[in-house]
Amino acid sequence: MTSPARPIRADTPVAIAPVGDRSWAWRRRLAYTLLIAYAILMFVPFAWSIITSFKTLPDSVRLTILPDPFTLQGWDFAITKLTPPLPVLFFNSALIAGVVTVTNLVLGSLAGYAFARLRFPGREVLFLIVLATLMIPDQLRLVPVYLIFNGIGLTKGVGQYLGVILVVAISGTSIFLIRQYFLTIPRELEEAARIDGAGFFTTFLRVMLPLAGPALGAVAILTFQGTWNGFFWPLILLQDQGHYTLPIGLLFFRTAGGFATIYPPLMATVVMATLPIVVLYVFFQRYFVEGIAATGVKG
Amino acid sequence: MTAASLARRPRAPNKGRAEALAGYLFIAVPMALFLVLNVGSIVYALFISVWKWNLRSGPVEFTGLRNYGTALSDPIFQTAIRNTLYYAVVWVPLTMALGLFLAVIVNQKIHGQTFFRAAFYFPAIASSAAITTLWIFIMAPDGIFNQVRGMVGLNPLFSLLGFTANQNWIGDQGTAMNTIILLNAWTTSGTFMLFYLASLQSISREVYEAAAIDGAGAWQTFRRITFPLLKPGHYFVATVAVIGALQLFDQALIGGGVDGAPNNALMTMVLYLYNAAFKQFNFSYAAAIGIILFVVIFTATLVQRRLFGQAPAW
Repeated sequence: MTSPARPIRADTPVAIAPVGDRSWAWRRRLAYTLLIAYAILMFVPFAWSIITSFKTLPDSVRLTILPDPFTLQGWDFAITKLTPPLPVLFFNSALIAGVVTVTNLVLGSLAGYAFARLRFPGREVLFLIVLATLMIPDQLRLVPVYLIFNGIGLTKGVGQYLGVILVVAISGTSIFLIRQYFLTIPRELEEAARIDGAGFFTTFLRVMLPLAGPALGAVAILTFQGTWNGFFWPLILLQDQGHYTLPIGLLFFRTAGGFATIYPPLMATVVMATLPIVVLYVFFQRYFVEGIAATGVKG
Repeated sequence: MTAASLARRPRAPNKGRAEALAGYLFIAVPMALFLVLNVGSIVYALFISVWKWNLRSGPVEFTGLRNYGTALSDPIFQTAIRNTLYYAVVWVPLTMALGLFLAVIVNQKIHGQTFFRAAFYFPAIASSAAITTLWIFIMAPDGIFNQVRGMVGLNPLFSLLGFTANQNWIGDQGTAMNTIILLNAWTTSGTFMLFYLASLQSISREVYEAAAIDGAGAWQTFRRITFPLLKPGHYFVATVAVIGALQLFDQALIGGGVDGAPNNALMTMVLYLYNAAFKQFNFSYAAAIGIILFVVIFTATLVQRRLFGQAPAW
């Protein structure tokens, strides 16, 4: 529902119709019906994956909304019998996305602050390099990054985690978003701290960082979502099944793992791959929408 | 501002140096990573691409541009280029139109505006792997798409178009790529809606008021005012869309495996590159494909700038 407090811009003029025009009322009703139908259609596939995950295998191809019988077999199969099992995939995804979110927040806020506030020779050129990294396609970097990481042992054992984290540990987008936000904060606030004798790091940590909440929130959400959903680098850099993330697990089950048509556990994996992001979306929808709009503005 | 910058004038001579040192320290780790993994990567990729390369020992034999020639004359790479271009030509306008349509709707004064925006963006938040796995399940021969169209009596129409009741949408050469196009149009239209929404809100209200006074209808207003005034928006969305389209990979690999099955219908440029590296282990060949891909993307971006954007300085 639209509340009066929320400014809403009607950018297209409301067509003028005589008051009480019945055909107009009908068209309105039809328009809302279509809108609601289309909105529901957006949720149907995800709802279908949840429903299917609680069905038996023969029931999974039937067009019924209620599982008959309702069963946890699919989830049990996913948790205990899939290789790699669902909890391992979930752990790997959470570990990698969690660490990458932290590194982007720490490195992004330090660099964003430096590019916004500190004066040093070459700053503009270095910032251009940061922006230029956004235009290099990952595919161009595939071979060099793989060969470098392979050469220093980051494609084996625990090193795989390190490699897949390192390649996205900091993104140009994170630095850009935080820098833009710092530029909007008045300089006077820092000046006071600096006159009191605080150093650059203390000023950054005590004065500026606490003010950057909205920017850090957007970066955290965008980074977590992007890394959790990440496909390309985990596919290249995670070689052992035990290190797979959820998306790579799904690819493996469908193409090589022999689980392509065992739908209930497959859909349980889809649910686990999607649910954390759905929960984040429900609570932090504003950050998603504003973050996307902000990344759009830069272009 | 002036008072502040006066206060910042270096009172102690080495204050500026301390500030510069702090600046370099603050950006050191990101810049080191960018230098190796981005800037260094391009140089390294160019270098590798002109050698015969061994995973253990590195460069074996200088081959010059041979890798580039081999790629461009390989019929499978030509198929990959054709498929990728077909995808771009169909998917980009389709998804832009859908995104613009949704943006115009949710930009109006409607009840539940926030809900509709959130709902239309919802399909875009899931991972490509999850949504593609789900889509393949829905579009399977015994999937709910085929069942629903049978139930609501659409099968005569589909058989007129040459589709059987148990059409294997992702597994049939004629429909595989279109099935992926439909999936990505559905998921990405929400993102484009948000891009267009930002652009729509920068159009001044007075323009619309003037149009309303002149008695312009809704369609006329859209065609004569909204659409042309959205030019920067079109340019931005089209650029992002084309770059994304030329990199089609996740959905093709999940849908058709490494071979882009059936019969190379889902073979794309990036999938071909992936195969060169991790199926044939021919890294210098893969590096050359990467360079070709980069050139194609860069050229497409420049062409679009000529078509939609401000004319480049040169």
